Amino acid sequence: MTKDLLKVTDLKQYFPIKGGMLGRTVNHVKAVDGVSFTVKEGETVSIVGESGCGKSTTGRAILRLDDPTSGEVEFDGEDLLGLSKKEMRKRRKDLQIIFQDPYASINPRQTVRQILEEALEIQNTVPKKDRPDKIAELMETVGLGAHQADRFPHEFSGGQRQRIGIARALSVDPKLIVADEAVSALDVSIQAQVINLMKRLQREFSLTYLFIAHDLGVVRHISDRVIVMYLGKIVEMGDKKSIFDNPHHPYTKALLSAIPVPDPAPEKKEERVFLKGDVPSPIDPPQGCRFHTRCPFATEKCKVETPELRPEDTMEEGHVAACHYMKEIIDGTHKPQQ
Amino acid sequence: MRGRGEKKTNFQMLFSNNRGAYVSLWFLLFISGVSLIGAFFIDTSQLMRVDLTRITEPPSAQYWLGTDHGGRDVFNQLVLGTRHSLAVAFLVTILSGVIGGVFGLLSGYMGGRIDYVMMRIIDFFQTLPFIMIVIVFVALVPTYNVLSFSIVMTVFLWMPIARVVRAQVLKEKEMMYIQASKTLGTPAFKIMTKQLLPNVMSVWIVSMTLNLALNMGLESGLSFLGFGFPPDAPSLGTLLSYAQSPSNLEYYWWLWLPAALLIFFIILSIRQLGEMIHLHFNEKKGGE
Repeated sequence: MTKDLLKVTDLKQYFPIKGGMLGRTVNHVKAVDGVSFTVKEGETVSIVGESGCGKSTTGRAILRLDDPTSGEVEFDGEDLLGLSKKEMRKRRKDLQIIFQDPYASINPRQTVRQILEEALEIQNTVPKKDRPDKIAELMETVGLGAHQADRFPHEFSGGQRQRIGIARALSVDPKLIVADEAVSALDVSIQAQVINLMKRLQREFSLTYLFIAHDLGVVRHISDRVIVMYLGKIVEMGDKKSIFDNPHHPYTKALLSAIPVPDPAPEKKEERVFLKGDVPSPIDPPQGCRFHTRCPFATEKCKVETPELRPEDTMEEGHVAACHYMKEIIDGTHKPQQ
Repeated sequence: MRGRGEKKTNFQMLFSNNRGAYVSLWFLLFISGVSLIGAFFIDTSQLMRVDLTRITEPPSAQYWLGTDHGGRDVFNQLVLGTRHSLAVAFLVTILSGVIGGVFGLLSGYMGGRIDYVMMRIIDFFQTLPFIMIVIVFVALVPTYNVLSFSIVMTVFLWMPIARVVRAQVLKEKEMMYIQASKTLGTPAFKIMTKQLLPNVMSVWIVSMTLNLALNMGLESGLSFLGFGFPPDAPSLGTLLSYAQSPSNLEYYWWLWLPAALLIFFIILSIRQLGEMIHLHFNEKKGGE
C-alpha cells in the first residue's frame, strides 16, 4: 500500500507563443513551472486550484498527451518521459484518463461496443473470443446494461456517457487513472453517483486516482491527499484532513473559505477571505512568491524571495506549504498588510 | 406507434422530409440511365457525320430535337454529351476527392512541419493558371479521352477538398475522444481511419457532392469556350456554345436550349442531393 506509484519531479510545461514576422518564439506560457509530488499506490490525490493554474496540464503531461518541457515522471519505477513512442504505447495500458466533458470525450460515430473493443484490441488484454463477455462485464461494472452496448453515444445521458468513459478507462486494467474534472460537467445528483461509482471501482480494482478538480466539496469527499496549485506551482500539499482543517497558505485559506456552507448561520460562519484582482498572466508570472500580488499578507520579502515548500511545527506529518509567514500568520503576529 | 403495414425502410426514411431530393435522385438516375443505355444504340461517327441536306431542321418525329448546322441529330448528341459530361464530372470528383481527402487528413493530423510543407504544396497548385494550362494541354495532346481530360482537371481541383478536410481534421483532432484514443495507445494510422475518418466523412462527402455539380459546370464551361472535348465528340458544352451566335439564340432554340436546361437541372439535382446528405449526416450525429 505504501509503494510510490507515481513520482513527479520538477515537472515543467512551457507552451511557446509564436509571434513576429518570422513566427519566432517570442515568449512562453509557463503553465506548469516546477511541480514535484508523489502518489502512493491505492490512494486518491486531488489537485485543486483556479482555472488556468496548470492542474489539467499537469495531468496531461503525466500521460504524455503533451510532451513536458522538462522534469521527470516516474511511474512504477520507470521514467515515462524517457520512453520512446512505441514503448510508451505499451505503457499506456497502466495510465488512463477520464475527461471532463462526456459529450466530447467519446466518438459520436462509434457504438459503445466499438469504443470498448478498440481499447481491448489495442492493448490486447483480452483474447478476441472473450471480448464480448468482457464488454458486457465492463458495462455492468459501471452500472450500464449489457444490452446497451450497441447504442450510439447520443442515445445516452451525460452521466451515462461519463460511465462509458470510465468503462473505456477500465477496459485495459490500468493502475492509475487521471480524472480530469471528471464530474464537473455533471449535475450534482449525477456527480454523487459517478463519484461513488469511482470509489467502489477503486476498492474493487485497487486503482490509484489522480483527481483534478476545482470543486472542493467533491475533493473533500474523495481524496486522501490534496495538492493546491496556484499559477503553475504547488502552494500547499498534504493530508486531506490536515489541509481542510488546518490550512497554512493564505491562498488555501481563501479557497477553503469559498466553499458554500450548508447552514450559513451568522455565528457559525467562518471569516470569508476575499482575494482582490485576477490571477496574473502565466506568460510573465510575478517574481518572488507568485501569490504576492493578491495576498493580503504580502510584504517586500514576498516580492523578491520565492518561498519553498516546507513543513511547519503546527502541521501534521507530510503537510507542506510555500509561504514565508505561515507560523506568524497562525499565531497572529503577522497581520494583513494595507 | 406505427402500424406494421406502414413501416418505413431506411431508404424511405432518408427522403421522408425531402421531396426535392427524392425527385432529384430519380431525375439523375433517369438521365444517367438514358445516356448510358442510349450510348449503345448511337454510333458516334455516324452521328457526327455532316449532312448538308438536312441542316438546322426544327424538331420533328424523325429528329426529336431537330438538327444542327451540320445536319446532326441534336437529341442523340444530347444523349452522348450527357454521358461524356457526367463521366468527366464523376471521374474528376472521385479522383480529386480521394487525393484531396487523403492529403487533407494526413496534413491535418500530422500537423507541424509536415502540415506546413503540405500546405505550401497546395498553395503552389492553386497559383497555377488552370484555364491556360488546360488550353495548352488541349493544343498539345492530339487525342485525349475522358480519362486523360479528367486527370488534367483533377490536377487543379483537388486542393479545395484537401483544405476542407484538413480544416475539419484540425477541429476534430483536438476533441477529447481522440486524446482518449491516444491514451489507450492507439497507433496514428488507426486513429486516422477509425476515429477521424468517420467524423470528417460528412464534410468530405458533402463537399465532394457539391464539387460534382461544380465539375459538371466546369466541363460544360470549358467545352463552351472550345477547350473541352474536340468538336467531333459531342458534349453538353459544345451544344451550349451554339448560343454564342445571336441568330442561333433567336431562331434555332432547339440547338442550345435543351442542353442548357439539362445542365441546369442536373446541377440543381446534384446540389439537392448534396444538401440532403448533409442533413442526413447531421441527424445521425444526434442533430447537433
